[in-house]
Amino acid sequence: MDNIASSDSSPIETTRQRPAKVQFSGQAGEFFGIWIVNLLLSIVTLGIYSAWAKVRTTQYFYGHTRIEQQPFRYLATPMQILKGRIIAVIIFALFTVASMLSPVLAVLLAMLFMFASPWLIVQSLKFNMRMTSYRNVRFAFHGDYVGALKYFVLLPVLSVFTLYLAMPWVLKKIDHFICTNISFGGVKMQVNTDTSSYYIAALVAAAAVFGVMTVAAIIGVVLIGIMAATGAGSAGAAIFLGSAGFFIMYFFAFTLSAAIYHCMIRNHLFERTELPEVAKFKSKMEVMPYLLLTVTNLLAIVLTLGLAYPWAKVRKTAYLASVTELLIYPKADTLVDEQQADSGAFGEEAAGLFDVDVSLA
Amino acid sequence: MFAVKAVSGQFQQAGSSALYAATASLTDEGKLLIQCVNTAAVLAEVARPDYRFGTVLPGLPVEVQLRSGGIFRPDDASWRWPQQTAGSGMAAALESNRLSILAAVLLSPLLLWWIIVDLMPMLASASVLLVPDHIKQKMGEETFYTLQKTALQPTQLPATQQATVNYHWQMALQKLPLQQKNYQLYMYQSEFFGANAFALPNGTVVITDELVNLLQHNPDAIVAVLLHEIGHVEGQHSVRLVAQSLGATLVIGILFGNPDGVADLLLGSGSVLLQNAFSRDMEREADQFALKQLKTLGKSPTAFADAMSALLSSKETSPESEPALLKYLSTHPATRERIEQARQHQ
Repeated sequence: MDNIASSDSSPIETTRQRPAKVQFSGQAGEFFGIWIVNLLLSIVTLGIYSAWAKVRTTQYFYGHTRIEQQPFRYLATPMQILKGRIIAVIIFALFTVASMLSPVLAVLLAMLFMFASPWLIVQSLKFNMRMTSYRNVRFAFHGDYVGALKYFVLLPVLSVFTLYLAMPWVLKKIDHFICTNISFGGVKMQVNTDTSSYYIAALVAAAAVFGVMTVAAIIGVVLIGIMAATGAGSAGAAIFLGSAGFFIMYFFAFTLSAAIYHCMIRNHLFERTELPEVAKFKSKMEVMPYLLLTVTNLLAIVLTLGLAYPWAKVRKTAYLASVTELLIYPKADTLVDEQQADSGAFGEEAAGLFDVDVSLA
Repeated sequence: MFAVKAVSGQFQQAGSSALYAATASLTDEGKLLIQCVNTAAVLAEVARPDYRFGTVLPGLPVEVQLRSGGIFRPDDASWRWPQQTAGSGMAAALESNRLSILAAVLLSPLLLWWIIVDLMPMLASASVLLVPDHIKQKMGEETFYTLQKTALQPTQLPATQQATVNYHWQMALQKLPLQQKNYQLYMYQSEFFGANAFALPNGTVVITDELVNLLQHNPDAIVAVLLHEIGHVEGQHSVRLVAQSLGATLVIGILFGNPDGVADLLLGSGSVLLQNAFSRDMEREADQFALKQLKTLGKSPTAFADAMSALLSSKETSPESEPALLKYLSTHPATRERIEQARQHQ
């Protein structure tokens, strides 16, 4: 493989601004082996190995995702993941048992969880960003509890009173909160998204749901008409066909609107995001290829009883990489993360007691 | 110092995005030397405790991490450092070996099936012993209170009818060797539940006016239904069901993580089907309990079949049998199957 570290000077100076693509080189067959062997080891060790599995899987995907031949790196250690999982399991078990004991306690706990969840979200984002590095420079997340409480709890709850009319605006605020608090090598992301783009995306997605339902209703009426006219089919068969049809339609409408929203918002968000003097981003997602990808992935997973999952995941990652482009500025080649350069040690050893991602996944 | 073998690759200092084309060599004593290719300058020279090898993954190079934060990555993805410990490449070897992959494909579903079908119900039954009586008492009281406020209205049954039901209930309680002592029967009118009966973990059993009326000419059938509910309490089914659902959610969550949207939907429906399967198993267990105790009381197990038939004809307007696939969506076994079981009970 050609390495960009091949010119005369040392270190290699690349003083020009240049476009770059995201490359993903993961192989479905290779990842299948990793996935299935890790699954077996996780089962045999009653879930303990799942922390190692998570680290290996993430390292595989990061290591195969390259920009200008340079891979991303995942720095978390299995022990950190294991600690987070043990905490999550204990919280979840206590929560379930307490809810079972008393309906009143269940409501109180749900309230408590609502106010604790912003802290968990911030904690998780901080952990995952700090554990991600590119060209030996780490990402970081700077959001705080108050901000997360406002954007993840208060605004969504308040939008209920606007009959969800304010929801696209809330979603824009959430994306804005997350992205502007991400930094790379000490450089914070700048985001300049439009509220109107979020409304347009939500409207188009809603129109798609409405369209699918209209078409399905027409087909249903025609079918009922045919059945009534010919006297074919029993009531039981009709109920079964009806519920199956409803499920498929519900699922298709859900997938289609999700694909539309995801494409439009990702393209817009990337277009309006930059790391000043380091990089600008571009996303060129299209609805039809992405919808086709999602639907075929799902069908493959269902028809193989889950065995196609690694193939589906590799295919989706490769697609998302292929539609992502960057414009890289010269400063990207000389970034120095002061804090990280000072911290010494192997990195994770400097981490604090609560440096965990409290999550089952 | 004698360099054993030089590997070409690239080097980066701690927290710096600057890239150096470099070579790395390891001496016999374990000293690591990293040199710039173009200037031959020494970029790093560290002894054994101050560097370590990264994770070995199929298809990816194994990097060397320095304690200072620097990184050297070989250009050759298949390069393996001779000094790596024997165990470090084991996971990667298993992940790329055809035999171990085949074994994993065969064993994973089997073990998963065994865990869910055998191990978890077993653990759930064992965990029941850990739940103290006063907690079950509290569970029952709280739920009963909530139901009284929401779904239950005072009984409208005439006093004589209530007395008949209570008489049969008391006779059954006296004659049967039950583990739990404080069984209490209540009658309530309920539009929400319709003709139904249920039991709470503290021994509270509720039968609705609607069900008493439906079975008023067949007291043995009422006894059969009450015995079924006692079966739930004796088997500690409420606690077991919670323990099993908790177990299933944790197993699925930990093993499959949070796959995006669509797969999530599948796993979600999977765990609903699983919970329903647990519930059906417990209904069957309670049915078996009722049939056995009916015989202890000197009554015919067909009384249970009568109760089920009455319920069936009160609910089903069409004689159409339940579609085969729908049975997986149900929390109870098919009524016809339960009637058959009762008729065949020896």
